[in-house]
Amino acid sequence: MQGSIRGALTSKIYEVDDFAAAQELYHSNGWTDGLPVVPPTAAAVEACLEWALMAPDQLIGVEPVREQPISAEKLAINAVMAGCLPLHFPIVATAWQAMMKEEFLLHGVTSSTGGCAILVIINGPIRREIGANPTFNALANSDRATAVIGRALRLALINLLDVRPGGVDRTTLGHPGKFSYCLAEDEEDTDWQPLSVVRGIPEGLSAVTVMAAMAPRQIMNEWTTDPREILETFAAEMRANQRHYSIYGGNYAIVIPKQLREHIQRAGWTKRDIAEFLYERARIRRAEWADVGKAAVVRDRGDRVHTALESPDHLLVVAAGGPAGGFGAVIPPWMGGKTKAVTAAIGACVDCEPPKG
Amino acid sequence: MILRVFDPTNEMKAADIQPAVRPTSLQGKTVGFISNGKEGTKGYFAQLERMLREELGVAQVVWRTKSNYSAPADARIVDEIKNWHAVVTGVGD
Repeated sequence: MQGSIRGALTSKIYEVDDFAAAQELYHSNGWTDGLPVVPPTAAAVEACLEWALMAPDQLIGVEPVREQPISAEKLAINAVMAGCLPLHFPIVATAWQAMMKEEFLLHGVTSSTGGCAILVIINGPIRREIGANPTFNALANSDRATAVIGRALRLALINLLDVRPGGVDRTTLGHPGKFSYCLAEDEEDTDWQPLSVVRGIPEGLSAVTVMAAMAPRQIMNEWTTDPREILETFAAEMRANQRHYSIYGGNYAIVIPKQLREHIQRAGWTKRDIAEFLYERARIRRAEWADVGKAAVVRDRGDRVHTALESPDHLLVVAAGGPAGGFGAVIPPWMGGKTKAVTAAIGACVDCEPPKG
Repeated sequence: MILRVFDPTNEMKAADIQPAVRPTSLQGKTVGFISNGKEGTKGYFAQLERMLREELGVAQVVWRTKSNYSAPADARIVDEIKNWHAVVTGVGD
């Protein structure tokens, strides 16, 4: 996928003496996440644009609240700084297009005191092209590609939308996923449909899903092979999140590594079966808030039942993780259903109307 | 070796928006409060209303609450702003 970009780069240029001077330039201007950056030279930025067949002034999108346009050139500069190679850039660009959809509520997601990060889940053939590793350490430093793609989203937020701590970003605590929060699904080692297919993208296409997500909460159950018992542990963590954090329903992601996944698959359960089970099991009565110090907001609505998922469709089930260990992860939403996860095909126009007829 | 590197910030500006003319006095004026709906706004705005009325002679204070505290104010609220001389918002927790 190589071509030739049209038009010259127009961003302001700085001349620095060497690599170390470049670091000081970027850090002193507040243009980093605190880690070293790759100096964005013309050759590196042009290579990203050429790979994605994008002109420098191509509009990736417009942030809906502050109406801030995002150009391909500026996004590529930030991607290079994060360590991206050209073949990573189409994923970064598609993720940004998805983030700027109205339902994602990007301004709220990035400015809230709640302090979520943007979780990125990659599906399709592009996972193999970029060398993503969906097995060992899947939610952390599993591989170069997912590390730099996740970081690119954050650097671009900082520099293109001024999402700096204490500026637009009003986060109280945050979590480490705000450095990078990206994983690929282990499609080769599961019977289940890829997340992107479950969410409506045709099979065989590469896609990216973005979700405004809190930190992963790890669960453990290696003492059963019964899918109901395994998933009951996930449900308990979702209920705990409803009690301790936010009672309201929204998108939850769960990551199921191989050991637990094989028990569930062997019993013939699909991702839909999992979602329907957790929709039923992950719910609490509002009165339970009184057990955790929140009696003041129970009021006269103690018998009201709140589901963690607004519907089974709102669960994102991801097959990923190392081959051994009876672990899994529940990734809660930032704040109930105020934001919706968005899935977009890579290389497709997210705003294009489907063909009529 | 000299490196030539790029500015990573957004040099494309959003639509140019001019701030409204600032009132020189609030005496006899109408002030709108747009709450994001969080509990903490109630006491804060109540105290602010007392101060505006007693110390600055504000004639009327209009309270409105956003339907979603994480999203911009609803269109119906934004539409009302033209009837006010000043507005206070952006206060939440």
